[in-house]
Amino acid sequence: MNKKNRRGVFRAVTACALSAAMLIAGGCGKPGGPGGQHGPYGSQGGTIYVIGKQPLSFWDDVRKGAEDAGEEFGYDIVYRQGTSDNDYSSQEADIQDAIKKKAKAIVIAPNGKTELNSAFEEAEKAGIKIININSKADYDGVITFVRCSDKESGSLAARNAVKLLKAKDPELAGLKNIAIIPHTASTAEERVSGFVEAFTEQASDAIAPVNMTENNEAKAKENRDAKKNDFKKGIVKGAACSKREVAEAEAREILEANAGNISVMYGTNTNTTLGICDAVSALDLQDDVVVIGFNSDMDEINYINNHVLDGTIIQNPYMMGYVGVRYAKKIISGDSCAARVDTGAVFVTADNINEEFIQLMMFPDGRPDEKGEGGEG
Amino acid sequence: MAKNKKSKGSGAYVFAGILIAIIYVINTFLVESIYWGNQEVSQKTGQAMNALNKINGELTSINMDSISIAAGIIAPEDIGMVMGDTERRYGNIIASEHQFEAIDGLSPAVVKRYNYAKALITAFKAKLESLGSGAVREGNEAEMRDLLKQEIYPLQTTASEMLTSTIDGVNVEAAKMSAANTKRAFLLMTVMMIVAILGEVVVWIFARRAKKMRAELEEREKNLAEVDAKLKATRQKASDLAVINVLTGMKNRYALDSDISDRLESGRFNIAVFDMDNFRSINDTYGYDFGDEYLAAVAEKLKEEFGEVAEIYNITGNEFCFVFNSSITESQAMGIAQNIQRVMSSPYEVLNLAVQLPCSGAVYHYLPGDCLNVNSLLVKLDTALRTVKMNGGNMINTVMNM
Repeated sequence: MNKKNRRGVFRAVTACALSAAMLIAGGCGKPGGPGGQHGPYGSQGGTIYVIGKQPLSFWDDVRKGAEDAGEEFGYDIVYRQGTSDNDYSSQEADIQDAIKKKAKAIVIAPNGKTELNSAFEEAEKAGIKIININSKADYDGVITFVRCSDKESGSLAARNAVKLLKAKDPELAGLKNIAIIPHTASTAEERVSGFVEAFTEQASDAIAPVNMTENNEAKAKENRDAKKNDFKKGIVKGAACSKREVAEAEAREILEANAGNISVMYGTNTNTTLGICDAVSALDLQDDVVVIGFNSDMDEINYINNHVLDGTIIQNPYMMGYVGVRYAKKIISGDSCAARVDTGAVFVTADNINEEFIQLMMFPDGRPDEKGEGGEG
Repeated sequence: MAKNKKSKGSGAYVFAGILIAIIYVINTFLVESIYWGNQEVSQKTGQAMNALNKINGELTSINMDSISIAAGIIAPEDIGMVMGDTERRYGNIIASEHQFEAIDGLSPAVVKRYNYAKALITAFKAKLESLGSGAVREGNEAEMRDLLKQEIYPLQTTASEMLTSTIDGVNVEAAKMSAANTKRAFLLMTVMMIVAILGEVVVWIFARRAKKMRAELEEREKNLAEVDAKLKATRQKASDLAVINVLTGMKNRYALDSDISDRLESGRFNIAVFDMDNFRSINDTYGYDFGDEYLAAVAEKLKEEFGEVAEIYNITGNEFCFVFNSSITESQAMGIAQNIQRVMSSPYEVLNLAVQLPCSGAVYHYLPGDCLNVNSLLVKLDTALRTVKMNGGNMINTVMNM
């Protein structure tokens, strides 16, 4: 091969190498860039475990929100839940699994205040970020807590119950007793206390009218407080129920035992609400008793439309799941976020049930779905 | 021929020029396309971010104002002014919503998140209005506090979360679009590179072929020129052979005919012919080869001695014709003729033998129109020469003397 030919071959080889380099440069970038292969615009950031309380429709919506956020931010969401709201051992096993699978974060609604602390400690040591949703554990390593305050939800329910009563009787002159049927989960306590406190305050003028003849302010206050306390003590509290039929039986018993003496009945979750509605409907007391409940099961919606259920508190489980994962992503990325977020609750009645925002809360995926078991947890 | 060669060689360069021009034009469009692609992404992102940030900002401000009213920070007489501000902020939120909704091509995920935020903002607005028309007007601080804490604040917080999620989505989408644009640009540039390289290869092949063809043409032309030169030489040789005596190298009878024919009618010149007396005896005695050598030697001597004063022709075997230069006078011609006789009669050494033969000659002072042609002129000279020979030879005769 002479010099000329060698130069020609060298040129051809250089040209081919250059083309190949350009092709490689053009076609072999980072796969997906910020969009990644998973999700519409997140890069594949790892796995986030979302652990719910128990198998209820409320937690299906939490899961939906978490999965939407996971898809958007590019995280694999592994959803687990306990078998009931006091099943912390399943949750502990799920935390161990998350540690084993090298999850980046755990978004959990703990089924216990302190029972999961050792598992949390282990997860924290493995570099896993811990976010609480719905209920908070007594553990310092919880970075953020996304919830809908049960106490405030109870308070909201009470405020609206008083409004409904005032709509018929502005002075609440005919106010009688109220009856509450709580559910078995830990959230019931706050929902009940929030309701009782707020109801007593909102209806205080009727419960403890101001004595115009009493000039001593301190004494007057003391008298009013005593009356309020008496009212609180007199509230009829049914046994905690987990099943609709049991709640119905309990409600029927209360209504029959306090016939004509109950102005408001309050259920703290889906099954207790439906049990109360069943009893009120069966006893044909819908015009005499204001029924306030929790959540938005299809049966509850039907009771709202039939004016048996006067109003129900719906929380935003979808938002809880979404914001939980969003905050987890922020924490993983090293960003700061609020230590506590309240996703809020809404009081739904027959008048506002078709509002867009309420429809979104009830049907996060945009269409009515079948909800077998009701209740939050 | 030269023009053809040039045009054939420049074909490849013209092709290369056209190719480069095409690549340049396509490249221009490519760069334009990349530029406008990035510009569109940047514009769309800017509009979306501007609108979302504006909504979020106004929402936060409204929320702050509400909290300030509920907390009693704002004096009751100023509440009306703050409410006016709130209305203006809502106006801004709606304008920003329209601005965002006018943007085409946003992903379903971003739109979904935005719609969620919008529904929350609408609910927030409705709650705030109910607060304004109810609790605020009545001055029910406890209700204001509860409304804010339980409903309005969570609505603002979640709306803000949805808006920031939308912003994140727009950001990531912009990055994705930008990455896609970059990828497309790389791909197109790679294609252009390949086209350019292929073009260069084609030009190189064309140039190589043209070069090869030119070399072949040059080789052929060179061969042709050589053949032509050979032909010319052959023709010249043939021509020379027709007018030159091969043995003596002098012009022959035909050359004489050609040289002086035109001068016969009007020319005046001196001409002489000489030949050896009894030359045949040389051939008979020593052979023809010897005779040829002898003649060659005589001819050489004659050229040497008289080449400058006369044109010498070897018109037959041993007969030489001298056409004297026009400057030579008749008397000078006679003198030169005598010298010619002396030279020719001198002894010559041929093949180691000294040979000497006498010679005879005839000189003719030609006057215009004396002869019709060269033949008749030579007849006159030959007649004069024969006369001398008949008288014993070794003499010079003149044609005039006849």
